Amino acid sequence: MNANQLNPGDTAVISGFKSEIKSKVRLMEMGLLPGTIIRIIKQAPFSGAIEIKVRDYYLSLRPEDIGNITVQTQE
Amino acid sequence: MNSLPKEWIVLAGNPNTGKTAIFNLLTGLHQKVSNYPGITVEKKFGIIDLLDEKSIHILDLPGSYSLTSETFDEHVVSDEIFSWIRGENKPNLILSVVDVENLSRNLYFTSQLLDIGIPVIVVLNMMDQIQKSTLPVSVEQLKERLGAIDVVPVSAIENQGIDRLKDSIITNLNSPMKPNDKDIPFEITGILRSAIRPLFQFFTEEMKYSSRFAWAQSVRIISRKEVIKFYESGNSDNFSLNKEKLIEFKKIHSDVQKNLNRNTQDLSTLEPQLRYRWIDGILRKKENLVDLSRKSKSEKADKILTHKLWGPFIFIGILYLIFQSVFSWAVLPMNWVNNTVAKFGNWVYTAMPEHIIRDLVVEGVIGGVGAVLVFMPQIIFLVLFMAIMEDTGYMARIAFMMDRLMSKVGLHGRSVLPLMTGYACAIPGIMATRTIVSWKERLVTILILPLMSCSARLPVYALMIGAFIPPVRFFGIIDAQGLTMVMMYFLGTVTALILAVIFSRWIKMQGKSTFIMEMPPYRIPLMRSVFRQVYLRVKQFVTDAGKIILVISVVLWILASFPKIDNSQNINTSYAGKIGKVIEPIIRPLGFDWKIGLGLLTSFAAREVLVSTMATIYNVESDDENVIRLTDALQQDKNPDTGKPAYTVLTGISIMVFFVFAAQCMATFAVVRRETNTWRWPLFMIFYMTGLAYIMSFIVYQGGLFLGFG
Repeated sequence: MNANQLNPGDTAVISGFKSEIKSKVRLMEMGLLPGTIIRIIKQAPFSGAIEIKVRDYYLSLRPEDIGNITVQTQE
Repeated sequence: MNSLPKEWIVLAGNPNTGKTAIFNLLTGLHQKVSNYPGITVEKKFGIIDLLDEKSIHILDLPGSYSLTSETFDEHVVSDEIFSWIRGENKPNLILSVVDVENLSRNLYFTSQLLDIGIPVIVVLNMMDQIQKSTLPVSVEQLKERLGAIDVVPVSAIENQGIDRLKDSIITNLNSPMKPNDKDIPFEITGILRSAIRPLFQFFTEEMKYSSRFAWAQSVRIISRKEVIKFYESGNSDNFSLNKEKLIEFKKIHSDVQKNLNRNTQDLSTLEPQLRYRWIDGILRKKENLVDLSRKSKSEKADKILTHKLWGPFIFIGILYLIFQSVFSWAVLPMNWVNNTVAKFGNWVYTAMPEHIIRDLVVEGVIGGVGAVLVFMPQIIFLVLFMAIMEDTGYMARIAFMMDRLMSKVGLHGRSVLPLMTGYACAIPGIMATRTIVSWKERLVTILILPLMSCSARLPVYALMIGAFIPPVRFFGIIDAQGLTMVMMYFLGTVTALILAVIFSRWIKMQGKSTFIMEMPPYRIPLMRSVFRQVYLRVKQFVTDAGKIILVISVVLWILASFPKIDNSQNINTSYAGKIGKVIEPIIRPLGFDWKIGLGLLTSFAAREVLVSTMATIYNVESDDENVIRLTDALQQDKNPDTGKPAYTVLTGISIMVFFVFAAQCMATFAVVRRETNTWRWPLFMIFYMTGLAYIMSFIVYQGGLFLGFG
């Protein structure tokens, strides 16, 4: 599934990136690699950016970008 | 940069690691900071006094996540670092600052620094935030596994470990890299290794890179094709290859790429994959088994502070608080400055013998400079609030909350910080746009930024409001003077956003727009750092603006005082009067007379000069030996033809509206020229802002007259 389908509080493991994603290398340099766990924190007001926790820090991304990250949920 | 001493060191690290705090602790006040305080966007040098009475230069690099640059700031950093690879002027040591709470991502950049071949001291900052026992590896193990020359735990907030860091700098300053240091940065195995070997050989043989850096650069260039541009001529003189070599190099690159494409899925992920595998190995972490459920204190605080509903309300409340306090709390110290200047003027008047020089000093210098000094308390308050919002981490939350709205008008979440900095001063604001990745969004932000009312407009607004807006209250709570002030800021801001929409449609430029922003933990701001920012801004105001104001005040006094006819002076027949009357017809439709016209001319250098200009004119004009109060003078001034008051509420508003829009601060346009690298944009800004100012003032004044005001 795509990471934008996750709800606040959900955790999932990154499985890959869609080809349309922008700044893929930068996301990976920031530590978002296939196999990395992310947790969705919240969406900003006005249906804005989405905040996630990854490794030991918090990061925010636009919904359209986060929709290009594919994930697998953990049971 | 050219006169660098033989021994120098460098401070590098990710954004939000407390790098600047460490720089400040190491150097104290021995800094050659750029004129513009705020965010670290320029090269900053400092001098560290080491314990053995030796001192050494240190360069503070802007925060970066990676050597392959995305933002302008990172570009500065990678350019600097690549200049060491071949250049002679290498630093002796690199201090790599990492946030110990967030090790793996911070160590990514550190791992790139370790490849360069300059000894690296890893500075583990924020030790106060964690228990040492919770570190995944011991400090000793970390040093060993990273191959750093030292690892020093510090806490910049608690001022712990700085002496230990200085000791380490002394010990390691001249230690050469050991020859047996790993010649390979991370595990490059089997097929990959043989596939990229041709690139590696080119780098070691043609470019004379060290083995380790050659491997790292080979992997990097496979991951990011754009790194090739670096070696093309016209980019960076030190590295450009001649034509034949470049063709050979590109051939090798594409061969290697083809070769690899047969085996590997996605080459762009190569460098990050390899480095993180290495880092996770060092930290003995399995990234797919980490527990992310712990909620940090900041996350809990954000439940309210960036809440869908409460977040924006709190933001608006904070803005309101800032502007109210700038206007009401600052009144007391302002009165004090005002009285002190007046007393000082009187004292000089009585102490000096009667002479034309006395008139110059009292009327020109003290009257002119004093009139602007009065507004210092307001500027201090404004810059103080901006610094606190930046240092606490709240600014990042504003960007987070506002990105959606900002992107609707063609801007970016990261435009918010520069635009808000613009409330203090456009110059650091324009420089802070360097963190916006897309050039189009950055350009639009720059173009509209001077419409944010900066602190230099404050003296003008405050003077006009004090003179013409009555201190009444509506419904017992809303203060008319405060409301007028807020309206001026609102007018500038809203117009800026409307123009952003227009400009971003008009400028045809492709640019990928992404929003990847770290949300740093909330921190209690270091008061030392906040006050330093305030101090630097005020110092700049007093020295830079002060010099301009002083010169203009003196010149203006001379123009306003001569020629003396029958030994008595009449400002109407003075040179200044004549100049003013030449331009009067142009500005008459806006409700301005020749005195304000003179003020508009002089305020082209800096906006606040309007105030000192008016002060000088009235001081020359009055027979009173005391330094007069400008608000009184404005209220009492009479139109010589009609005998009615020269200025009305409507004139006051028209002047303020003019100042909201007018292009007046030449320093701003010089900075825009530097940042955009062409005169086209600054000229465009001067043109549109001046036009807008004239039209808006015209509408306000003529509309007001038509409706029967004034």
